[in-house]
Amino acid sequence: MAEALTRVPLRFVARRLGGAVFVLWAVATLTFFAVRLIPGDPAEAILGGPGSQTSPEALAAVRAEYGLDQPVFVQYLSQLGRLATGDLGRSYALNMDVGALVLSQLGGTLLLAVLSLAVAWLFALLLATWSTGRGRLARQIGSGLEIIAAALPHFWLATTLIVVFSVWWGVLPPISTADARGLVLPVLTLAIPLAGFLGQVMRESLVAALESPFVLSARARGESERGVLWRHALRHAALPAISLSGWAFGSLISGAVIVETIFARPGLGRSLLNAVTVRDVPVVIGVVMVVALVYILMTILTDVASRLADPRTASIRTGAGG
Amino acid sequence: MGLDVIDYWIASNNATAAVPEPSTGETFLKRDNRMPRPGIVRSTPRPLTVALAAGAVALGLALTGCTAGSSVTGNDTPQKGGTLTYASGDAEPTCLDPHVGGNYPQALVSSQFLESLVSLDSDGTVIPWLADSWTVSDDGLTWEFTLRDGVSFTDGTPLDAAAVQANIAHLQDPATGSSTGYLALAKVTGTEAVSDSVVRLTLSQPDSALLESLSQPWLAIESATALERSQDENCAAPVGTGPFVVESWAKQNAITLVRNDDYTSPPADAAHEGAAYLESITWRFIPDSASRYAALQAGEVDVIDNAQPDTIAQASSSDSIVHLDAPRPGASNRIELNSGKAPFDDVAVREAFIRSTDVDAAVSSLFQGSAERSYSALSSVEPLGVSRPDLFEYDPDAAADLLDAAGWAEKDSEGYRTKDGVRLTVVFPVSTNQSIPAEQSLFEQIQATAKETGFDVQLTKLDLSSWYTALGSNAYDAVSAPYTKVGPDVLRILFDSSAIQPAPSGYFANHAQVNDPELDSLLAQANATNDADTRAALYADAQDIVLEGYYILPLYDQQNHFLLGSAVQGARALPTVSTPAFYDAWLKR
Repeated sequence: MAEALTRVPLRFVARRLGGAVFVLWAVATLTFFAVRLIPGDPAEAILGGPGSQTSPEALAAVRAEYGLDQPVFVQYLSQLGRLATGDLGRSYALNMDVGALVLSQLGGTLLLAVLSLAVAWLFALLLATWSTGRGRLARQIGSGLEIIAAALPHFWLATTLIVVFSVWWGVLPPISTADARGLVLPVLTLAIPLAGFLGQVMRESLVAALESPFVLSARARGESERGVLWRHALRHAALPAISLSGWAFGSLISGAVIVETIFARPGLGRSLLNAVTVRDVPVVIGVVMVVALVYILMTILTDVASRLADPRTASIRTGAGG
Repeated sequence: MGLDVIDYWIASNNATAAVPEPSTGETFLKRDNRMPRPGIVRSTPRPLTVALAAGAVALGLALTGCTAGSSVTGNDTPQKGGTLTYASGDAEPTCLDPHVGGNYPQALVSSQFLESLVSLDSDGTVIPWLADSWTVSDDGLTWEFTLRDGVSFTDGTPLDAAAVQANIAHLQDPATGSSTGYLALAKVTGTEAVSDSVVRLTLSQPDSALLESLSQPWLAIESATALERSQDENCAAPVGTGPFVVESWAKQNAITLVRNDDYTSPPADAAHEGAAYLESITWRFIPDSASRYAALQAGEVDVIDNAQPDTIAQASSSDSIVHLDAPRPGASNRIELNSGKAPFDDVAVREAFIRSTDVDAAVSSLFQGSAERSYSALSSVEPLGVSRPDLFEYDPDAAADLLDAAGWAEKDSEGYRTKDGVRLTVVFPVSTNQSIPAEQSLFEQIQATAKETGFDVQLTKLDLSSWYTALGSNAYDAVSAPYTKVGPDVLRILFDSSAIQPAPSGYFANHAQVNDPELDSLLAQANATNDADTRAALYADAQDIVLEGYYILPLYDQQNHFLLGSAVQGARALPTVSTPAFYDAWLKR
């Protein structure tokens, strides 16, 4: 492993970090102005809510407390200043620090995303390996299933799974529970469409790999069919799927907005949805920043993983440096 | 024990049968098929169980399809213990202390652990709760409340006059950020502890709505010791005298409430005494309506709120789910027509709009029988409500004649009416937070039927903040906003001309922008009188002005439907603001 890490040059890491800081700044800026440009007064939403009456005194107090009486650009700069020091600010609506909120909600979302990614890989692998080298019909069934799975919208899949597994069969809970049972349906909802995407990519490269010369030579050395598939061809075929996983992880976190709401799970996706509804700018920025950070980290990780799976990519990506 | 409870239920039932008609009822037209509300509707006809009667009768309700003369078995004796899981579709409160802000989601959960000075019984009469009795001076400016003996908050602080003083001070302190409670106490200028158990409130003007205001969960009495903590601490776990105590709150997941074993202060209309039967309540938030119902069907939760019309229709075919229909008090849900600017500054155009909309047909198809059409400015649970079906009949011919006479005789190429080249446009911002999908569809149908007469109704769906902004900038001709408050004084909030001027925040309640000195005077007199008959007569006159002026198009009561799993017995909705009460509830598993 130590040897493997030395394959990743420092310059590559430094450049990646610089890029990451720029992306985070851009995300913070875009999010701040996007949320503030939508008409609506956060102070109303902080105190208001259906059916409650807001007194001018209470509103003035809230505006002063949260600095909402300042010009927007001043609010932007102070927001940015706080972010630079790692302070995500204080939620308008939740009476708590955004940092504490994100920390308390991040675990649930990460667990959901990691499990979904793992299950998606498992499904994709099983389907790709089962349907490859088994004749045209199997290949067509496999690719048909993948296309269907990839096209399923999360909200539809979630509702269907709830109806089938919770209402008809009554075997799995439709909402989060203290034990792991409540994780099954949300993970399936996120994993099935993703498995479709990953499977499509994996099958294509798997078919290409099985027809390539190194597989022929492995066979010539007397490697079994299973050995050829798992030890040689898959390693090759996994590469595009690994790079896709960085993107996939990001998409899982955005999918969490829907899944956490439908399955009543605590998590960042639900925080984000609530925060957008009530113009809770610090929470929106905080969650989006954390998601961006996770996204960046995952991209770096998948790059590293690609280098480990196939050292050739290092020289290609870093140019002459390799 | 069991027999006492049954006697109580029967007594309540008789009381219910005698729901008084408003004494001034010359204009109160009661529909024959009207069901007393709030009510429990059993999904399928079956003999009454005592436990069901507990919930039903305590609420003052009719049971449809039930045979009278129920059999009582030993199994229906309340059993102690167990955890009830409640799933709320409302937004998760940001603070559990309803003094802070003051909205309905807070009221829902705080009703389980906080209690008020007074409550209401099912026919709207004020009954003792934390206050045993009260007196008011002849000039209406001095109120004295005698507090119940031997009540302590769950942190051990005794309930005394000083506690009530501290609560009023907390509500009136701008730093608390109270909106609902703050406005309700607007006329209270001073408090005084006459003795340990007697507290005196001094008012700047008489306020006939004071008791109704004090019955609301937003004015609940909390421990003075607990109120001295920081607002963050108090928001996380307010301390009251209620049957349950906040044990923990995992944000975006659940609030855990545990039984208060030393509970001594049930309201006068509760079904038993002593501690609650339930061991604990898990209070969850499930925003998605379909998941909420699926969780109830799967037995993961015991009670859900915000049941939607399609779900209620589905539940009616299930024999294990009980429907609790508890409309909120205060205003009916209605469309308010902005009389402050063209085109609705002309009463003929307002009437034409109302006559051109076929609301009855749309309500019955979209709400699948779960909502009943209202013809009143007030909720049907308000005893002083005036209902005027004669004013709201669908009559497109009459609407066309009215528009012709009002100068909107021309039609443009798209079929909309015009006057001096200006199209007859109704800008209608819709809050997607406040209008449920069925209501949004109803507005679309109103748009379609009004188009036949030549109105261009422009519906815009907005989130809450944008919607407030549209109202504050007077960028609307029609709007629908809920308003929950106990008692007819809500009319003053909604229709007094002083409520037209938006506060600096842009918020104002008189969306119809009614500016009528006669109405202002009636509402002020009604609020100032201590005589019940005079008050009723004044409110009846005031409602006639509002309804005959075509300022509003009433739709239905503010919908508030709960679905209960078959294990839940004895739950009811409090007659104050129709929040669920689980003090008498138990689980029959």
